[in-house]
Amino acid sequence: MASSCSEASSLLTREELEIVGFSLATAAGATLLILPLGVLAALALARYRGPGKGALETLLSLPLVLPPTAVGLVLLEALGRRSPLGGWLAGHGLELVFTWKAVVLAMAVMSFPLLVRSARTAFEEVDPRLVGLARTLGCGPLAAFRRVTLPLAWRGLLAGVVLAFSRALGEFGATVMIAGNIPGRTQTLALAIFHDNQLGKDDRALVLAAVTTALAFVALWTAEWFTRRRSRRIAA
Amino acid sequence: MIEIDLELALASYTLRVAARLESGVTAVMGPSGAGKTSLLEAIAGLRRGTRGRVALDGQLLLDSAHGRSLPPEARRVGYVPQDAGLFPHLTAHANVRFGARADASAVASAIATLEIDRLLERFPASLSGGEKQRVALARALATRPRLLLLDEPLAALDVGLRERILPYLLRVRDEWKTPVLYVTHNVGEALALSRRMLLLRDGRVEADGAPFELLATPAMASAAEPGVENLFSGRVRAHDVEGGVTILDLASGQGITVPLAAALTPGSAVTVAVRAEDVIVARRAPEGLSARNLFEVRIAALTRAGADVTLRCAPQDGEGTLEWIVRVTPSAAASLGLAVGQVAYLAVKSHSVRLV
Amino acid sequence: MARTAFSRWWLLAGASAGALALCSASASRALGARAEPEEISVFAAASLADALAEVGRAWEKASGYRAVFNFGASSDLSRQIRSGAPADVFFSADTTQMDALEREGLVRASDRQDLLSNTLVVIVPAASGATVAGPRDLAAFKTIAVADPQAVPAGVYARSWLEGLGLWTELAPRVVPTLHVRAALAAVESENAEAGIVYRTDAAASKRARIAFEVARGQGPPIRYPVAPLVRSTRRAASAFVAYLRSPEARAVFTRHGFLVLGGE
Repeated sequence: MASSCSEASSLLTREELEIVGFSLATAAGATLLILPLGVLAALALARYRGPGKGALETLLSLPLVLPPTAVGLVLLEALGRRSPLGGWLAGHGLELVFTWKAVVLAMAVMSFPLLVRSARTAFEEVDPRLVGLARTLGCGPLAAFRRVTLPLAWRGLLAGVVLAFSRALGEFGATVMIAGNIPGRTQTLALAIFHDNQLGKDDRALVLAAVTTALAFVALWTAEWFTRRRSRRIAA
Repeated sequence: MIEIDLELALASYTLRVAARLESGVTAVMGPSGAGKTSLLEAIAGLRRGTRGRVALDGQLLLDSAHGRSLPPEARRVGYVPQDAGLFPHLTAHANVRFGARADASAVASAIATLEIDRLLERFPASLSGGEKQRVALARALATRPRLLLLDEPLAALDVGLRERILPYLLRVRDEWKTPVLYVTHNVGEALALSRRMLLLRDGRVEADGAPFELLATPAMASAAEPGVENLFSGRVRAHDVEGGVTILDLASGQGITVPLAAALTPGSAVTVAVRAEDVIVARRAPEGLSARNLFEVRIAALTRAGADVTLRCAPQDGEGTLEWIVRVTPSAAASLGLAVGQVAYLAVKSHSVRLV
Repeated sequence: MARTAFSRWWLLAGASAGALALCSASASRALGARAEPEEISVFAAASLADALAEVGRAWEKASGYRAVFNFGASSDLSRQIRSGAPADVFFSADTTQMDALEREGLVRASDRQDLLSNTLVVIVPAASGATVAGPRDLAAFKTIAVADPQAVPAGVYARSWLEGLGLWTELAPRVVPTLHVRAALAAVESENAEAGIVYRTDAAASKRARIAFEVARGQGPPIRYPVAPLVRSTRRAASAFVAYLRSPEARAVFTRHGFLVLGGE
C-alpha cells in the first residue's frame, strides 16, 4: 500500500494529487449530503402507495436520464446570482456558483437518483409485515426502522451509497456549468481530464483517466461485493 | 372484555365487525378473503383508515368518533402471523426479547411455556416450522399483551406438527389467561380451543356463538380438514408395563388409558387428543369391548353438520368440564335413536388416544 | 406458421425502408452537388461571431458560395484542426494558434494574413455600479471571468497584460477561467462573475454588461487576428473567401463591430 502510494506520487504531480484529493472529498461530501434525504425518499417510495407517487418517482429519476448539462443549466438558473434564491444566498455571504460548494451540489443532484433507486430496492426487500410486527411489539416508527428495516437493508443501502459516490466522482456536465473548471478551486478529476485535453496535454489526461478508472473500479467492485452478500440474509 | 365495533374499507368490500368478547379464546373462521386477517390487523392498529371503536378492558384503542387512535406500539396487543414472522437477523432469544423491554420474568415465563430454551441461540433460518411458531408465540407473550391475535398459527404446519403445538396453545390459554382471537380454518382446532366463535364472510359477521352451535352452518360444515376436536390436559398416573398401557389422570379426575409411554415420568403433565370420529357411542353400557376407555355421558347437544351427525357430550356425573365431541354417521344416529338429554356411553380405544 | 410470415414481413419492410433511405440520401447528395452552392467550413474565434456571420451573409449574396461557421476558442479550434477536423479556413484570435498549424504544415506561411486587431476591456454587469479607474481596482472583485488564460487567446492576452503590470499573481486566485471569451462575457452578463476581461467588440455587442475600463493601445499586448485557408482544403471558394475578407465591404462590417482593421500584410 505504501509503495503504491509513493508510486502514485511519482506518477502524479502535486497539483494532480490535490485534484484527486479534491474529487474524493467533494464526492464524499455530496454522498453524505444526499444520504438522509435519499433514505427518506427511498423509504417513501418503498412503502407508500398514494396519489402522486408516480409523479414523485419520475421527478426523482430525472437527473438519471437528463443530459447532465441540462441539469447544470437548471441549477445555474435557480442558483445563479440573478435568481431570487441565488441573490438571497449571496446577500447572506453564501457564494455558490464557481465555488467548491457548487461542485458538491452538482454531484449531489446527479447521484441522488442512483442512491434512491438502490436504497429503495433494499427497503422493498424487507418484508413490510416484519415492520408491522415490530410495531405491535412496542416499537415506534423510528425504532422499527432502526431495529428491523435498517439491519436487514443495510447492505443494499451501502451498495447504493458506493454507487452514488462513484457517480459523484465521475460527474462532469452539471459540474462544469455551475462550478466552472477553475484549476485549484473547482477542478475535479473529470474536469481536469477535459482541461488537459483542451490544452493539448493528452498524456496527463490519460494518466488522470487511468486514476479515475482505478477509483471507479474499486468503488463498483465494493458495491457488488455488498450486493452479493446481502442475498444471504434475506432468505431467512 | 373486548369491545369491537369497527369498519374498514377493503378492496372488494367494507369490513364491518361488531362484537363483545369475553376472556378466553374466540375462534374466527370464514372462507379465504372474508377479512379475518384484516380484522386482526385492524385491531392491532396496523390498518389505517379503520373507523369505529375498539376497547380492551375499558381502555380505548380506537375511537375514531373522537379522533383517537392508539398507535400499534401503544396497544399492548400481541400478534402472531401465519408464518411466524420472526426477524431473520436476530437469534430466537433476541426475537423473544424484542418487545419485552426490561421484563425479564415475562421473557423467562414465555420461554418456559413454549419450551424453547434449547432453541434460543439459533437463527430463524435454522428452525423448523413448529419451532418458529413457538418462538413467535413466546415473542408475543413476552410483552405481556392484553390481547393475543393468532392468525392461523398452525396453518403452515403439517398435521403431526400442528398437534404438537396445540398443547402449547392450551397452556397459553390456561396459564397466561390472556384473551385470544384465533383465526383458523380448522374446525377441530376451533372446537378444541375456543368457547366462542365468529364466522366471517365478505367482511361481515355471518354467525356468532358457541362453536358447537355453529357446526351446522354451511361454512363450518364445508371445512373438512382432519381435526382433533377433543383436547384434554392431564397427568401421568402410572405405567402398566405388562399390560402395555399408561394410565393418565385427566383434569376432570377421570382416568384415561393410552398405549404404553414408558418414557414419561409419573406426575408429568401431558396433553391428549382424540378425534371426534374415533369415539364410539352406545345406548347401553357396553360389555366385553376391547376399548379400554369407557365414559358415561349425557348428550348435551346434537347437530347435523354436513354429512355427519356431531354430538356434544357432557360427563354424567357432572364432574369437571370434560366435554366430548363425537361424530357418527346419520345412519348410526338414526338407528340408535340418539337424542339430546339421553344418557350414552362413549368408548375410545387406547390407540385412538394420542399423546401430543 | 403465421408467426414466421409475420416476422418475415417486418424484415422485408425494414429492408425496404433502409434501401429507400440510402437511395434518397445519395440522390440528394448527388443533387446537392449540382444544385446547392459550394460550401466552405470556416473555423473562427468566438469574438468574431457577430461580425463574421454578417460578412458571410454578404459574401453568399455576392458570390453564391456559402460559409458555414464554427465559432469557438481559437485554441480549441486549432486543436480540432490538427486532429483532422475538416476546416477550409481558420481565422484565429492570436498568432500562436496559427503558428501551431503552420508548424504542422496545415497552412502555408505565404497564405497567412494578419487581418484584424482588437482591444481588451474590463466589463462589469450592466446593473453593477462598480468603477474601475485602473487595473489595480480589479482586486476589489471576488470573481473575474476570463477566457482560459492558459490557452485561449483572449485569456492569454489578459494574463500577459496583467503580468506586465505585476498584478497577475495577486489576481490569479480570483480568475474564473471560461471556455472562450464569449463564455466570459456570459458569466458577467448573468452576474455569476463580478467582472470580466473580454474584447471591446464583445462588450459592444452586449446590453447586459458594460465597459468599466479600456486597455489603451500600446498598454496591453499586441492583438493580432490572422486568417488563412488550409492546405488540404480542396475548395476553390476557400481562398475566394479569404480574399473577400479584405474587401471594402468586409472591412466596413468589421469596423462597424469595433475591430481595428490592419492595413496590408
